Amino acid sequence: MLNVIIIDDEPLARENLRILLEKDSNINILAEVNNAIEGIHAIHHLHPDVIFLDIQMPRINGIEMLSMIDPQYFPHVVFITAYDEYAIKAFEEQAFDYLMKPIDPARLNKTLQRLHQHHSPQNLTKLITNETFKYIPCIGHSKIYLLNANEIYYVCSKVTGVSVFNSNNIEYFSELTLRTLEERTNLVRCHRQYLVNIGQLKEINFSKEGQTEIILTNDVAIPVSRRYLKILKELLQL
Amino acid sequence: MNEFNLVLQLLQQMCIFLVIAYLLSKTPLFIPLMQTNLHTPHKLLCFFVFSMFCIMGTYLSLDIDGSIANTRAIGAVLGGLFGGPIIGLLVGLTGGIHRYFLGGMTAESCMLATILAGLIGGIIHKKLIDKGRVNRLYNPIIVASIVAIVEGLQMAIILLIAKPYPDAIHLVKNIAAPMILANSIGAAMFMRILLDRRAMFEKYTTAFSTRALKIAASTEGILRQGFNAENSMKVAQIIYHELDLGAVAITDREKLLAFIGIGDDHHLIGTPISSVHTWQALKSSEVEYADGINIPYQCSINKNCRLGSTLVIPLKGENQTIIGTIKLYEAKNKLFSSMNRTLGEGIASLLAAQILAGQNEHYKQLLTETEIKLLHAQVNPHFLFNALNTLVAVIRKNDEQACKLVQNMSTFFRKNLKRPDKVVSLKDELEHIDAYLQIEKARFMDRLQVEIKASPQYLSLQLPAFSLQPLVENAIKHGTANLLEVGKITINIHHANSNLLIDVEDNAGLYQENKKDNQGLGMSLVHKRIQACYGEDYGMSVECKPSCYTRIRLTLPINQDHLC
Repeated sequence: MLNVIIIDDEPLARENLRILLEKDSNINILAEVNNAIEGIHAIHHLHPDVIFLDIQMPRINGIEMLSMIDPQYFPHVVFITAYDEYAIKAFEEQAFDYLMKPIDPARLNKTLQRLHQHHSPQNLTKLITNETFKYIPCIGHSKIYLLNANEIYYVCSKVTGVSVFNSNNIEYFSELTLRTLEERTNLVRCHRQYLVNIGQLKEINFSKEGQTEIILTNDVAIPVSRRYLKILKELLQL
Repeated sequence: MNEFNLVLQLLQQMCIFLVIAYLLSKTPLFIPLMQTNLHTPHKLLCFFVFSMFCIMGTYLSLDIDGSIANTRAIGAVLGGLFGGPIIGLLVGLTGGIHRYFLGGMTAESCMLATILAGLIGGIIHKKLIDKGRVNRLYNPIIVASIVAIVEGLQMAIILLIAKPYPDAIHLVKNIAAPMILANSIGAAMFMRILLDRRAMFEKYTTAFSTRALKIAASTEGILRQGFNAENSMKVAQIIYHELDLGAVAITDREKLLAFIGIGDDHHLIGTPISSVHTWQALKSSEVEYADGINIPYQCSINKNCRLGSTLVIPLKGENQTIIGTIKLYEAKNKLFSSMNRTLGEGIASLLAAQILAGQNEHYKQLLTETEIKLLHAQVNPHFLFNALNTLVAVIRKNDEQACKLVQNMSTFFRKNLKRPDKVVSLKDELEHIDAYLQIEKARFMDRLQVEIKASPQYLSLQLPAFSLQPLVENAIKHGTANLLEVGKITINIHHANSNLLIDVEDNAGLYQENKKDNQGLGMSLVHKRIQACYGEDYGMSVECKPSCYTRIRLTLPINQDHLC
């Protein structure tokens, strides 16, 4: 049994694929989502075996989305595109699975058979960049934002998820994991649950109880754990 | 007194040579003579001419008290000077041997002197050329000096060889001064005549070049604007007046494009080519020349035509293909000057180059137009395949909607293909984008909202075809398709002052300038076409408030009197 997620911004396109997939009793559709941000969320929470991923999607395209997924949850990817000469060329070169819209059922069956037979790990490194993110996709106030990575003051991991804060200390929710954000932005780990923008650091307070805090330029205090204080000091050349 | 008479008599004799020199200078023979590097035929010519001089000089000599005063040395010296050592020696030998057989007291000495004269002339020729002083070769004073020396030498030889000695002294006394004087003056004058002639010839070539350049300058660019009857006529007129010909004609591969001059009453523009010479030139790609003497020429249209000779030069276009001919005519009583023949051929290649340049420009223009047409007909492949994908889903769900969708697609593609006219009504343009938007609405479903505000008064107004579609497509691609929320597209047609304003607005505000994709190209073409149609005051403008809206506005004249 394969657990799959469909990620496509067009409802009818999702429907087409769903109907074709439903014919295979060994496929379990965990979710259908209509953009990259929802896609990241679904992957991080549902841990699918395979995702069917449309490349052309609003704001964050399919390939950009892949770079935002935490490697530990990385699923097998089947790309879908209506028309994209360059992407198709790359897929052919790397022998990735891809489907073209409108989807040919015979071609889809071949893909599914391959998926059922063996899970040879995909190497998508050539497709996914390791560059730092310019924008962080976030949800806030029932809208989706792409926050400029440099304008983020700190990030906090809570039970509910990862929260991102800007200069006004307004909270946005990100689907990216703390680890991904640490690796792919200039934010620095100062606590097991916090990343901080050291460009906005005003002072470091050492309290009597042995607690350490970072005060940011917007006067927000962030806890620093002993474990990361040493690294932080080195980074600041203290 | 006696000597003075002798000088005069010798000079009289010289006159004959000068007349010959003059006549010679009138023939084409003299041109090669004035060149330092002669080919063998010209060398032979040189030999014959100057040997003749020698022999004539001997025959025309004056018998003075049994001694012969002559102008033989001039021939030998000039032969050497013009032809070099070998020719000089040969001329000298010929003249000398001829003199020898005439006998007399000075037979041997004269022969020897003549051979020496030729040799000296030749050696001086070689020396001067080796030193690069060619001009001195033709300098009359130098020639006179050489002849004087040679004559002096001859006198010395006579004194040395001729017997009996007292007679020799007597002879030399009598003839030395007159001969030296007359021969040097004669040789100098001979050279002068040739020099003058050369100067004239150079003047002639200058005139030739000037005329050629003048024609080149005045015809410049005419045929670049197109190889047609009107432009051909302009060119024919220029050539006719500059070359002073009987008539000038220009044809393409089938018919007469231009004719001016004698016989224009029956050589009518637009009539098919009838001359065999023209057909031959078109067929063979070679210049056809019917001089009216060796190759007879008869006007193929009218027997009483006064044109007596023709020169047909093919005009070579791309890849050496013949695109037409230029024809020069002279009247029956006139000969074709070689200058006009050469000029004619030069002009033909000049005109051909112009026509070619014009054609290239034309092709370029065509290419741009084709580009636009291609862009029009080119359906964004994304749109096409997404539409087909949508159709697959709709067919499954809703027959009726599927039919409508197929109808919309047909309308869209038909309008995309069938736009022969450049200007269409706003109504037509709106129908086109409506079909487009219906397809996109089916695809995006509730993610796309469209509002079109166009009051009926505007619908009959005209605008360049395909002005709106690229804007709407852009709004979908960079607006709706890039929005996570609902995409709203508003098309608002209104007017301000005397301008018709068409606004296409999306609610994404993601416009980026200088996007060099196909889309951006389509948009910039819209702008260019409107400006080309209505002027710089009109065109496309963009207003963008990031994350809020992008508004693309077309400004067109509402007063449509000055339509493109």
